[in-house]
Amino acid sequence: MTHPTHRTYQRSVERLVFWLFRLATYLVLAAATYIFLDIGIKGGRTVFTSTPPFINVPFLTEPPQTLYVFDFEGKKMTLGDREFRQWKTAHPGVEVEATSIAYSAGGIWPCIVGTALLVIGSMVLALGIGISSAIYLSEYSRNGPLIRLVRIAILNLAGVPSIVFGLFGFGLFVIFFGWNVSLIAGWFTLGLMVLPAIITASEESLRAVPQGLREGSLALGASKWQTIRKNVLPYALPGILTSSILGIARVAGETAPIMFTAAYAMKDEMPWQVAKFTDFFFQGVMALPYHIYVVSSKIPQNEYTERVQYGGAFVFLFLVMLIALTSIVLRERSRSRLSW
Amino acid sequence: MEGLADSRILIPARTKSRRTQAAIEQGIKAFFGGNALVAVIVLALITIFLFREGFGFFGQNLANLRLYRQAGLEYVDIIRATAAQHEALSRKLSEIRLRQVRVMEKRNAPLDEINAALASFDQFASAFSDTAENLHGLVSDLTEQASGLKERLFARAELLAQRSQLEQNGEHDAAAKIVLPEIDRKSAFDSLHQGAATFESVSAEMTAKLYNLLATAPPLPDPGGQKAFEQWKTQTREYLAGLPAASEKLRSWSPDTAIPWYRSISSFLFGREWVTASFWQDWYGIVPLLVGSVMVSLVALLIAVPLGVASAIYVSEVASRHEKRLIKPYIEFISAIPSVVLGFFGIAVVGQAVRAASQSSFFKWVSFFPISERLNIFTAGCLLALMAVPTIFTLAEDALRNVPRGFKEASYAMGANRLQTIARVIVPASLSGIVSAILLGLGRVIGETMVVLLCAGNRIAIPDFTQGLGTIFQPVHTMTGIIAQEMGEVVRGSTHYRALFMVGLVLFTITLGINYLAQKFVARFRMSIG
Repeated sequence: MTHPTHRTYQRSVERLVFWLFRLATYLVLAAATYIFLDIGIKGGRTVFTSTPPFINVPFLTEPPQTLYVFDFEGKKMTLGDREFRQWKTAHPGVEVEATSIAYSAGGIWPCIVGTALLVIGSMVLALGIGISSAIYLSEYSRNGPLIRLVRIAILNLAGVPSIVFGLFGFGLFVIFFGWNVSLIAGWFTLGLMVLPAIITASEESLRAVPQGLREGSLALGASKWQTIRKNVLPYALPGILTSSILGIARVAGETAPIMFTAAYAMKDEMPWQVAKFTDFFFQGVMALPYHIYVVSSKIPQNEYTERVQYGGAFVFLFLVMLIALTSIVLRERSRSRLSW
Repeated sequence: MEGLADSRILIPARTKSRRTQAAIEQGIKAFFGGNALVAVIVLALITIFLFREGFGFFGQNLANLRLYRQAGLEYVDIIRATAAQHEALSRKLSEIRLRQVRVMEKRNAPLDEINAALASFDQFASAFSDTAENLHGLVSDLTEQASGLKERLFARAELLAQRSQLEQNGEHDAAAKIVLPEIDRKSAFDSLHQGAATFESVSAEMTAKLYNLLATAPPLPDPGGQKAFEQWKTQTREYLAGLPAASEKLRSWSPDTAIPWYRSISSFLFGREWVTASFWQDWYGIVPLLVGSVMVSLVALLIAVPLGVASAIYVSEVASRHEKRLIKPYIEFISAIPSVVLGFFGIAVVGQAVRAASQSSFFKWVSFFPISERLNIFTAGCLLALMAVPTIFTLAEDALRNVPRGFKEASYAMGANRLQTIARVIVPASLSGIVSAILLGLGRVIGETMVVLLCAGNRIAIPDFTQGLGTIFQPVHTMTGIIAQEMGEVVRGSTHYRALFMVGLVLFTITLGINYLAQKFVARFRMSIG
């Protein structure tokens, strides 16, 4: 038997260690919360306004412009590119020395559009290939050397750094296929990047459908494909889509793969302003993550640039986190509800 | 008839022939199978294309190295190295002076007094740096000669390539029109070789002057400074003793010594310099980038492993049900923060905060504070740690949760308390799972691009490890960062372009290796819990 004082000693050691564990956990949570709050508060100043409609509509609906800062009649003027030209015509003969700061006026509309296009295209691609592969792996395949190879490839593909995907996309799609920096090159690069995550999630959902449903269908004389289509996929699909939403968050959040496959730092036309239909696929777009990279590394940090920097980061973080939150909430719900 | 017979009864009334049915089924199966193969194909394509674009690097780099020798740049660099050593010694002298001034300032000596005390030392220092005047002159003369020759050789090689291209296309007439300029390498080298004689006379003169100077070196008031000064004197003597070796090297140097093919590979893998777009000579050595990546990842893991594993243990073993339901999704949520936003946060907030902290009086006792660069290994490491924590947490928590209940119950039955059970039973049982979680976290960190590109400082140099712990406050560049930064600006097909693909290949290999190790540990974990 242990001595009583020894036991109290042990109890306090236990309590101390558990407190340390708790501290570590909450430290992580606090750090993340700090980031959310910092970007939320400083970015909120750009995105929200104190007067109706409470949302800074121009910031969300205008393209980025160059900002001009200058002194005029003792006042500090900050004007966007277009306003600056109007001002100049309104004040003929006035010479001002204006400092120009790129990207710091206007909004981020083309970036939002570009990111949405990239996400939609690459997810369609990834879901198509991913669900098909998962169906094969869970419904058709028997364990063999080839299937083992496929599984090893999926595992390893999941660990490939995103910048390597970018290099690969650049080498294959941009140069070898000659697609140049284009939407379609970005779709393929991003789509292939999330493929492992989609396959793993889909296979998990497919395997969760009880074997009895398949056997029942087969016993009634349905073919394999009929069984899958009518008795497996309908039950697995909600799960597949839920898990895939996290893939959307990843696709939307990545910068490195699109840096030299799809993203332009600045583009004047919107994606739908193309001469002919096929040009749509072969044009580069502006993308929100790349825009944030550009405004945080290529222009100085000061009071004039903070608006676009924090505003862009806020909108981007908000969108991605919204997607991630949807996925997590849906999954938590389906976990508690689904039990076969 | 409705509702009586569905088409799914045992023997359908109207069937397509069995054979078509089977063929369709086969087709569908093949379609899915083909999709499943995409993962394998993509992995193969990644490898192929990294090799395809990157492999030409070795040939081009070899040509680059050969040109370096043939144009005599290597020859000039031998002399330049001695000049650089001289400059380094000069810099050390001013460091010694700075230390002296600081010591005297602490004693509250007025500035005039300090300057008076160091007057003879200053005289000595300026006399020292003057001794290298002729040496620097020689270097700049020869630099001009050699780079001129390099330019002509390069232009000739370009024309040669053009001609062979034309001939390959069958345009012999056009090919014959390209006239290759004759380059009189012999006379060029003769004039270069005269540099050796000049160098000998210059270095003899400098040696004599320096020995005289050393003999008349003034003493320093502070004993610590005097000690450093004595050390400096021995270094200077060593430097002077090394000069004959340099001139020996110059005399035996020949532009026609062959460069073996493996030098192209070894200069990439072990090269300590990454210099691109230079007027003189480009170097593609991966070591500074590799060291940068490894240092940043190490700092990140040092922070992330304790936090990630501790919180995994806390959530799986200690936390209440309510806490669990909050913490787990929240940490998963963290993993969705886009890396570019974290990088921006690093620039805007963390970097400033780190520098401000290093300047505060609270940390005055730390020898390497205040730091000069706000973007450094530590800043990037902190942010990467936040990215690695969710990975480590999720996988480690999985491993801990999968330890069979019986293990725990047996431990409690033996009278162990919760901490003992965790430390002696649960963690050891899931150790290989935790290790694999850490490895996957490392894989995530080493492959991360945006955070290091924005926050690691982007200085291409091997950090100065003599500074001890202060090393982690130096800026570095990383493998991922260099690809992202330079890929957009290089000429397709150039040596630089191919070098970036080679860096990508090295990165790819490293992450595959880490992944492989992680899978080994997972397999072991499955064995250990039965």
